Amino acid sequence: MTSTPPHAPGGIASSPKIELEGVCQTFLINGKPLPVLQGIDLRVYRGEFVSLIGPSGCGKSTLLNIIAGLEEPTQGLIRTDGRQAHGRLGAIGYMHQKDLLLPWRTVLDNAVLGLELRGMSRSQARRQALGLMEQFGLKGFEGSYPSLLSGGMRQRAAFLRTVLADQEVILLDEPFGALDALTRANMQEWLLGLWESWGKAVLMVTHDVEEALLLSDRLYVLTARPGRVKMVLSVELKRPRRYEMVTSEAFVRMKAQVIATLREEGSRPTQSEGQA
Amino acid sequence: MREEPVHGAGAASRSRRYPSLVGQWGPPGVILLLALAAWEGAVRLFHVQRWLLPPPSSIGAELWESRSLLLRHTWVTLEEVLLGFALALVVGVALATAIAYSRIVERAAYPFVIASQTVPIVAIAPLLLIWIGYGIWPKVMVVVLISFFPIVVNMVDGLKSVDPDMLSMARTLGASRWQLFTKVQAPASVPFLFSGVRVAIAMSVIGAVIGEWVGASAGLGYLMMRSAPQFLTDRVFASIFILSIMGIALFALVVLAERYAMPWYQWEKREKALGGR
Ligand SMILES: Nc1ncnc2c1ncn2[C@@H]1O[C@H](COP(=O)(O)OP(=O)(O)O)[C@@H](O)[C@H]1O
Ligand SMILES: [Mg+2]
Repeated sequence: MTSTPPHAPGGIASSPKIELEGVCQTFLINGKPLPVLQGIDLRVYRGEFVSLIGPSGCGKSTLLNIIAGLEEPTQGLIRTDGRQAHGRLGAIGYMHQKDLLLPWRTVLDNAVLGLELRGMSRSQARRQALGLMEQFGLKGFEGSYPSLLSGGMRQRAAFLRTVLADQEVILLDEPFGALDALTRANMQEWLLGLWESWGKAVLMVTHDVEEALLLSDRLYVLTARPGRVKMVLSVELKRPRRYEMVTSEAFVRMKAQVIATLREEGSRPTQSEGQA
Repeated sequence: MREEPVHGAGAASRSRRYPSLVGQWGPPGVILLLALAAWEGAVRLFHVQRWLLPPPSSIGAELWESRSLLLRHTWVTLEEVLLGFALALVVGVALATAIAYSRIVERAAYPFVIASQTVPIVAIAPLLLIWIGYGIWPKVMVVVLISFFPIVVNMVDGLKSVDPDMLSMARTLGASRWQLFTKVQAPASVPFLFSGVRVAIAMSVIGAVIGEWVGASAGLGYLMMRSAPQFLTDRVFASIFILSIMGIALFALVVLAERYAMPWYQWEKREKALGGR
């Protein structure tokens, strides 16, 4: 399969923000080992937007958990800024598939959670968050409880919480997975604008090929479980990206290529299903 | 870009969901009045002896005529209830936290917590009397014993049922273990704590009365015990009436505190009742 070597935008010698080398993860299910990730090599450079796409159950969320520091891999190395990273937990932003807003906190108080946990006073943290409400489409709902918000608003509130925590790398696990198509398209454009003005490194898991191509600098395609890197694709579209690009010839060609790669994986039974 | 919140229809739909005061208290009020009228009518019609079953009117008269006596005993009982309940709350929350955080404490303490409920309280009340002596404390202890159980059990459930993903989320934001407790687990368990407290407050009144039956020189339970052999049946009924009012009032206070402490919970319950998102 085609594999473009990763480029390093913004610096010749800058070491990647995140670098995985031969990461493996095996879970024990009823005493039997279940290999979920096998030898993952992956890099995310400063200011880069990278997507991770693959069949469901291939270990994408597991990989993000490992990078965030919630789990340790059974094998392999993880470096941040070129150094082996032991205490990653708390240093890397992670937005889970679910919005995980605390139902007893208002939108504003949910947003400031990360600042508060780092010891900032709630009033100072609130002041900082209030300035961003407009940009996150939450103006007027600062005092609302999450249960009263729509899915898109909840997701943006979770986004704001992640962004305010101001970590240098942000992991996103299917951030738009639970949204309807229209809200989803709006949110993609919004995130694109946000990220372009922002310059943080992002690693996003998605199952939407179009979304991955539209947003990313590079795209990793994983195999079915146990997940391995099947293809790395550099998305050669100029920035700023616009939604109209999805009809461009280059876009359509890349999309067909990624879908064909995923198809091969989809038709192949996963290891455990094969045994069953 | 902005979407409307799911149920942002505003005041109109909101007031429809809150039953009005009349709607809430009307039906039980009517039933109560009808029952009292039937009681009064039956007693008069069949010439039931006063000492056997007094009519509501004479219970009402007794409430008024003996008001200073009743009030004095009411304060005694209320003091036992409040003191016992407060102690049960402190002990219950502390014990629940220890149980939720330590396997060892859970294994060691939980069997006793459950065993404490299988021991008939009426049977150990005389022992408390022997051990602690007369005065307020044996009654307070009975109240604690009877009401700490629902608090502990519900609080433990609450602390344990926190979504593990929420804890992970807080950890990726840099939360320490103590912060995980204060910012996530403790607030998440508050609704559970309140369900325990609702049960506990009602049981507290029962506990105080049982304590007074076993040995007391004051309180509504004591007054009932003393009045029954003298066939002051309307005084017994007056005491029962006051105890019921006390129980209902304390329960209502808990519900008010709940609404005040967890405005979000009311909304969430309503959203769920409406079929969720
Ligand atoms: N903590 C765990 N213990 C055991 N199995 C797990 C655990 N976490 C994930 N798995 C399993 O690993 C596989 C990959 O899960 P996941 O990373 O969530 O996949 P994806 O996000 O790609 O859909 C699944 O089969 C899942 O059941
Ligand atoms: Mg997943």
